[in-house]
Amino acid sequence: MSKRILETLFNSRARVRLLRFLFRNYPQPFTIQEMVSRLQEDRQTIKKEVDQFMQIGLLVKTKK
Amino acid sequence: MKKKKIIRKVETPKIKTQESYMLNREFQFIQELRDLILKSSPAEKEEITTRLNQIGRIKLAIIAGYFLDRNNPQNAPTDLLVVTDDLDRRKFGNFLKYLEAETGGEVRFVVMEKDEFNYRLSMFDRFVRVLLEGPHEKLINKLGV
Repeated sequence: MSKRILETLFNSRARVRLLRFLFRNYPQPFTIQEMVSRLQEDRQTIKKEVDQFMQIGLLVKTKK
Repeated sequence: MKKKKIIRKVETPKIKTQESYMLNREFQFIQELRDLILKSSPAEKEEITTRLNQIGRIKLAIIAGYFLDRNNPQNAPTDLLVVTDDLDRRKFGNFLKYLEAETGGEVRFVVMEKDEFNYRLSMFDRFVRVLLEGPHEKLINKLGV
């Protein structure tokens, strides 16, 4: 199997990690802070991905 | 006589309503995306091996469960077995964090010393036997198992 297929397709390791994390833990909601600590990516990166996912309607906001 | 004006700031207790996010199941391609994301292998085996080698002298490292059969990880008694006589706990902790970040969930693991592993192997210990008889992959094998 060749290397890092999804990471190459999606152009971002953080994005793939975030998606995998959300799918694997669905339907649990997470705050930005929780994602940052679980995914070992920096806050800015995660925030950016979440904002982009919100824009295309892949993510929805909920209250914890 | 002047009346003293007392202005008191009333502080309203802050209620922390944290915004959290979850996947929108109404999203157009949610099912296709899910299949794609969950089907792909988390963390390349080579990368896991490289990181394992950085932890210290590891005699045997076996992956199974979630790493090989994403849909039925419970068939294997553990996801990761590491046999080593000197474990750097801090490095191993970081390694686990990395694995959990990659897999997006918990990783079941077992660490044991070489003597214990050999003893269990010679005793036909259930845990070791089930692991070695089921689907598994040896990333590091200096014991000739």
